[in-house]
Amino acid sequence: MAKQLRIALAGNANVGKSVLFNQLTGLNQIVGNWPGKTVERAEGTLHYKGYKIRIIDLPGIYSLSTFSMEEIISRDYIAVEKPDIIVNVVDASALERNLYFTLQLLELEAPIIVDLNQVDCAAKKGVRIDAEKLSIALGVPVVPTVAITGSGIAELLSTVIAVAKGDKKLEPLKVSYGREIEEKVHALEKIVKAKLPQICKVYPARWVAIKLLERDADVTEKLKNYENGREVLDYAEKTASELEKIHGEPSPVIIASERYSLASKIAKDVTEFEAPPRISLEQKLDAVTTHKILGYLVLAGVLASIFTLIFAGGSLISAGLESLLLNFSLWVEQWFSLFLPQIVVNIFSKGVLGGIIAGITIALPYIVPFYILLALLEDSGYLPRAAFLMDNLMHKMGLHGKAFLPLMLGYGCNVPACIGCRIMETERERFLAAFVVTLIPCAARTVVILGLVGRYVGLHAALALYAFDLILIFALGRIAFKVLPGEPVGLIMEMPLYKRPLIKNIALKTWSRTRDFIYIAFPIIIIGSILLEALRLSGFVNYIVEASNPLMSGWLGLPAVASIPLIFGVLRKELTLIMLSELIPLDSLTPVQMVVFSLVIMLYIPCVATIATCKREFGWKKALGIALVDIALALFIGGIAYRILSLNASLSFFFLEA
Amino acid sequence: MQFRHRGKKSEIENGNNVVSIISLKEGEKGIVSHAVGGFGLLRRLAEMGLTPGVEVKVLRKGLFSGPVEIEVRGVALALGHGVASKVFVKPLKDASNG
Repeated sequence: MAKQLRIALAGNANVGKSVLFNQLTGLNQIVGNWPGKTVERAEGTLHYKGYKIRIIDLPGIYSLSTFSMEEIISRDYIAVEKPDIIVNVVDASALERNLYFTLQLLELEAPIIVDLNQVDCAAKKGVRIDAEKLSIALGVPVVPTVAITGSGIAELLSTVIAVAKGDKKLEPLKVSYGREIEEKVHALEKIVKAKLPQICKVYPARWVAIKLLERDADVTEKLKNYENGREVLDYAEKTASELEKIHGEPSPVIIASERYSLASKIAKDVTEFEAPPRISLEQKLDAVTTHKILGYLVLAGVLASIFTLIFAGGSLISAGLESLLLNFSLWVEQWFSLFLPQIVVNIFSKGVLGGIIAGITIALPYIVPFYILLALLEDSGYLPRAAFLMDNLMHKMGLHGKAFLPLMLGYGCNVPACIGCRIMETERERFLAAFVVTLIPCAARTVVILGLVGRYVGLHAALALYAFDLILIFALGRIAFKVLPGEPVGLIMEMPLYKRPLIKNIALKTWSRTRDFIYIAFPIIIIGSILLEALRLSGFVNYIVEASNPLMSGWLGLPAVASIPLIFGVLRKELTLIMLSELIPLDSLTPVQMVVFSLVIMLYIPCVATIATCKREFGWKKALGIALVDIALALFIGGIAYRILSLNASLSFFFLEA
Repeated sequence: MQFRHRGKKSEIENGNNVVSIISLKEGEKGIVSHAVGGFGLLRRLAEMGLTPGVEVKVLRKGLFSGPVEIEVRGVALALGHGVASKVFVKPLKDASNG
């Protein structure tokens, strides 16, 4: 039987852990050039030299203090589940910063190997790191790699095996502080050992002592559950105050300063500056894209060209596929009716086949190009620049620039975007960001907007809808900011270097997202289409239509049957357009109806997957709250829009004259 | 006669020529002296490498009261305007040999 090993990848945000993870496991963990992308840990398995190695990709963090959720996830995993080896992925181009984290891993007394990654980026900066010297300084193996090309991965694996077998011994550096701190840590460590033997079975006593001195919230909370916890906490509190009195700074700042000065010393000792860094293309690009004025022009240009490209490409492919598949479905229908009863043929051709064809012709042509462009944005490192530019505006909504990252993701799919809100620092900000995210038209809603309004009314009308959505989000965000209690937090975000996106990664990412879309969306589309066909054949449709008529035609000015797609749309948003096209010819709608329909779809209840995600992140109450607010909003604005567009000649002229 | 002092408000307040990061111009450097704010913010800043005594360089400043991008410990860091205004530095006069 293969020997088992459990390895965790840990390190700062954006150092290439996910890239390394994919290289090791062959899995498609989504990679991206922005901090905070892996919010849940990913797992994969690798077989190597008779070992079955389980690999866990932990979220990227800066420290092992409990400031954000990811930090707690990572720390608990390392401390409690005790993986056999921790591969500490370190960005060679920002060694000092990364060593700060390494020192904390050493304090946790975790068995670590340092993966000195992105040595190519460091070389670009004119920095060369002496891996051997670093290894001696830290007392653990250091393997230089370039994970993105796979260079050094084999050496990394054999080092892992050598350490696991005991061929290579670790003699980790003992992180020590200045005399005053050291004395206090010692005293506290003794007390922790004496009073809390249970906790010392899980965490090293010295580490607990340091964390107590740092007033770590999570460790404090944990201690409260123990018999002698209070007593130890009181002592720790006294010690921390003494330290603060001497230095005039909060204790975590004092300890962080000391850790950093050690990191800085080690980094200086092992770093050689080879060539004076020249101004690279990346730096020029950086200067333009974050420029006070040019930056915003670039951002507007990027967003506008994304939608134009998706629309132009999507409608072209969509029209081509449609004519192709229509003939195919007619042929299948004829062939089937040779030996099957008519009702079965109807359900099959209208339901199953109709669903598949609609999925292929309506949804995929818009979704695939979008995923490609989103992947390009993510991998290049442009997103944090956009976040930088948007910081000011986001503050007006009680958020900060970082919230722009989940917002952009939301245009792809609201589900990962809601999870991505975890990069925000407080519960209040996470919820606020998630609420705003649910109003972002995801790829599925883009299908409806571009496939209906864009295609039949004109691209300008579709873009107007997006612009309106942004204004609405801003206004609502502002209201929510005023209504929700709590103080806003400021932006502190690392800006990664620009990187040339690799075609292979873009393709992989686009494929894995498209595959998810097909696996999740197609069954729902097909089942929805069959149900619809059954409802229609049974005559049940009429009841629903009749009941919802006042709302549909009376208030929204839509055809009464539009209530059916709206109900099913809770499952998947693109299903609404597919169902609508199965119920009535799309070109029989008036432009105003198309605009109102798309507007309602854009805003009303998040799809089930998003609601479920919100429930998991924030609980039932808040998830339902978001859903109800969204529904009310969609109906309210839809009705108003119908009235304004029908009455106001100049506005409807804009929408009618394509 | 304190009234007669003319100069930057922050300079008068701090006496020994310590200014907030936002008063540095693009390309200027300074040594972090201290930060003001709540416990959480101070700790966050320290963990991102902004500890007293470290050298920072202002790379870029956003439009109006926008965020500030600084370089600290070899890493580019974006700070919101509010955050940046709470970090105080001693400006280094000659940026080239700072």
